[in-house]
Amino acid sequence: MNQESNMSANSKTDQSASALAQVPIENAKRWPDLNYFNKIIYGASSLAKGMKITFGYLINTKTVVTQQYPENRETLILADRVRANLIMKHNENGYHDCTSCHICEGVCPNASIHVVDRSEPTVSKKELGYFVWRLDSCTFCNLCVMACPFSCLEMTGQFESSTYDQSLLVYNLNQYSGATQNNLAKLADDQARTSAIKAISPYEGPVALEGYHLAGIPKEFLPQKSDAKTSQAREGVNP
Amino acid sequence: MVTLNDRISCHTPNQDGTTTQEYFINMGPQHPSTHGVLRLILKMDGETVNDIIPVLGYIHRGIEKKAEAVGYRQQVHLTDRLDYLCALMNNWAVSAAIEKALNLEVNDRIQTVRTIIAELQRIQSHQLWWGVFGMDLGAFTPFLYGFRDREKITEIFEKTMGARLTMNYFQPGGMMYDIHPDFVKDIKEFIKYFRPILKEYEDLFSGNIIVQERLKNVGIIDAQTALAYGATGPVLRASGMPLDLRKMQPYGAYSKVNFTVPVGTVGDSWDRYQVRIQEMYQSLLIIEQLIDNIPDGPHMTMKYAAKIKPPAGRYYTQMETARGIFGTFFVSDGNDRPYRMHFRTPNFNNLWSILKMAPGGRVADLVAILSSIDLVVPDMDR
Amino acid sequence: MKSLSFYIHNLYQNQQWLDFILYLGLGLILTLSLMSVVALVLVYAERKIAAHFQCRLGPMRVGWHGTLQTVADALKLLLKEDLIPKAADRFLFALAPFLTVMAALLSLSVLPFSLSATLSNMNIGLLFLSAISGYGVLGILIGGWASNNKWSLLGAMRAGAQLISYELSMTLSLLSIVVLSGSLNLNEIIASQAQGWWIWRAHLVGFISFVIYIISSTAETNRTPFDMAEGESELTAGFHTEYSGMRFAFFFLSEYVNLFIVSAIGSILFLGGWMPLHIGEWESFNALMDFVPGPIWFLLKTGALIFLSMWFRWTFPRLRVDQLMRFEWKFLLPLGLINLFLSSIIALGGFYFFP
Repeated sequence: MNQESNMSANSKTDQSASALAQVPIENAKRWPDLNYFNKIIYGASSLAKGMKITFGYLINTKTVVTQQYPENRETLILADRVRANLIMKHNENGYHDCTSCHICEGVCPNASIHVVDRSEPTVSKKELGYFVWRLDSCTFCNLCVMACPFSCLEMTGQFESSTYDQSLLVYNLNQYSGATQNNLAKLADDQARTSAIKAISPYEGPVALEGYHLAGIPKEFLPQKSDAKTSQAREGVNP
Repeated sequence: MVTLNDRISCHTPNQDGTTTQEYFINMGPQHPSTHGVLRLILKMDGETVNDIIPVLGYIHRGIEKKAEAVGYRQQVHLTDRLDYLCALMNNWAVSAAIEKALNLEVNDRIQTVRTIIAELQRIQSHQLWWGVFGMDLGAFTPFLYGFRDREKITEIFEKTMGARLTMNYFQPGGMMYDIHPDFVKDIKEFIKYFRPILKEYEDLFSGNIIVQERLKNVGIIDAQTALAYGATGPVLRASGMPLDLRKMQPYGAYSKVNFTVPVGTVGDSWDRYQVRIQEMYQSLLIIEQLIDNIPDGPHMTMKYAAKIKPPAGRYYTQMETARGIFGTFFVSDGNDRPYRMHFRTPNFNNLWSILKMAPGGRVADLVAILSSIDLVVPDMDR
Repeated sequence: MKSLSFYIHNLYQNQQWLDFILYLGLGLILTLSLMSVVALVLVYAERKIAAHFQCRLGPMRVGWHGTLQTVADALKLLLKEDLIPKAADRFLFALAPFLTVMAALLSLSVLPFSLSATLSNMNIGLLFLSAISGYGVLGILIGGWASNNKWSLLGAMRAGAQLISYELSMTLSLLSIVVLSGSLNLNEIIASQAQGWWIWRAHLVGFISFVIYIISSTAETNRTPFDMAEGESELTAGFHTEYSGMRFAFFFLSEYVNLFIVSAIGSILFLGGWMPLHIGEWESFNALMDFVPGPIWFLLKTGALIFLSMWFRWTFPRLRVDQLMRFEWKFLLPLGLINLFLSSIIALGGFYFFP
């Protein structure tokens, strides 16, 4: 196939044809077609060449790239930006910054985040009840982290999250239900702060399994009772 | 005109007037060399493939429909799932379309970094293709060599983007993070490492007499037919048409770099193979020209807002991914969600060229042809 | 028939029947255990060697460096559910793996591990081997047909065509050695190499015949670049697509035993079998070599050929089926015929090195 025939075939659109003609090209390399005897000689030498390369790798054990995963936990270096797990940042006293503004819930493309307001707020008007995060449907796109106006979410490289039960992949990211650290700081002492919040475990609260809480599903399609089997499995775990 | 009834009849006359009993065989949805869940119904005469009926839809996820339900910012994340081997180039195409709608100019730093990363991704995609190509031809070792070298780029990506396959890195208006401090150093190391390896690829596989015999003059398609089927990328370029958007409609930093477009002369599987190998060399060249002078500037030019509302209108952006032209078309009605989102994916159109390439060949030829088109099935079904 | 009845009559006459039964039973047990050991070791070796060709480590977890991996795999295959497809021909489907294993077993029984450690020292040993290796294809054909799967049938047909074609050039290369050594008895062929191995003693003829043998034996064992019958990327798994569990294990087993057998034949014919390596006038070196027992030599040489085969497998892509046939009929067969002619000239004229 030569260049000219292509050009003429495409002459309907002169503009694109001239643009095509201006593209600097290089022809794909092509080994010449050989006759019977040359092919035998060339073939044998090319096969030997390939065998030389593979043999080089066989005898040079330094070329092995396998990492033996569970054994190399100590030496395993992960990049610091690796996204494998979502956490909510808590300060040294164990208080977070989440105001339960639901922005992360809105940006999540696959409804993996379900923010529940605290039913009886103690300090401020609106407090975080449960920050439910579904690892099983999360794609680690990082949009929630970017969207959070208070930077209270963070992606970490903690990737060993496999379990035998899907329901165990639904977590509460917050360690307590209650106000943000700034609002709590306004309180008088630690005792008042402790009474203003309620500590929760990672497996408490509503379960957002099986797409029940996907964005836009009308209320009447949501199940009325929580799945007995699911809650049983979650109770069996000591977080 | 050939109807479907003719195509499913099993008594196509031979050239000498006799008829042979043909039979149908299902290649796929579960078959090692359809690379996923593509199903090809083959009409065969012994080992010879007489007709092919591709059947799609086994991995249809309704991404275009879902795109109507999520906001513009989330579209990028959906395109990771189309052609997962060119995830970043897809990210870029969508981001660029949204930027175009918002009439947003991104700075040189973003353009340069995007170009470097897209070329790295092209190399990465071709590396994987090379490995899989070897495996489809029956040599298992290239597969692991390809993956070994792909890992180097994946590690660079992991450092900068925090993810290895579905990165969601290019955002409307820029990038999610700035590049990692080691980015430039790592890429230079990679280029130094990869050039000899590419030579080795050619010694191990390209020069091999068996590969030559398997690929040369197999699955020939001429440029006009390929264009008529809508094929783009290396499939079209191997037929001799240098259609490369990086040259014809330069985007990113491509107008600043010198590179050539490899084109084939015959349009057979060998040309498609060799065009990709030479593209890897060209990508290395492009990266080398850009890596030393990445301009300074912010990595994001748009103030972060959870909702993006482009003005009402229709917007189309296309880019050259490793497999061909990836286009994003969306209709905005001024809301925070697109009225309609369409992806023009290269694989869907490239697939149909096998209708011209494969008939008359053997099953083994069909496998080589399928592999030389470099299909990614999730990209076809969307 | 006459000789057989005569033989049995003799057994009764001389009260040798107990010896005979004992010999038969012992031989059977030895061959069976040898077969399983060979398969276990070879599968492990292949996995390790393949891994290192590919910059990997291979099995590392079961036992020291994964040494027990194949045992674990064999156990797993034994315990798997026995599946027979509904539309398959049940009898033939079940029969096929046994036929292949039987062929491997029969060939194994005539291999001379040393002058004394030979189970059956037949005077037509080589003829017997080539006859049996042709019979092995029957299992593949029947298995592929009985599966009632088009991919399997394609694989089986390919295997049939391929094995029958390559049998020709394999036999031709064997014949030239028979001509050179003047015997079909494997031990006598080895003994004829006391002055030097046939691979280099008969000028280029021995070497060409060795090359032809290596190529056609790779094709015989259905290994890459000639793995048409399995053709993983083309035919999913070829003739054993529908096989699983123990039946699949039998095919797998016979594949590796066949690899051992063809390499053993190669080492017997071309590399002197259990004969130690002797270099010309180096008396002390030769004496040292003589200390190493015959079976070790035999296994070392066989191992080298097996490694060569693995090296091919993990480097080369697969040929296409028509190219495979062209290669055989247009290149190997003419070469084999010319080689046979030349070897007869050499044998008649006695133009050996070290006559």
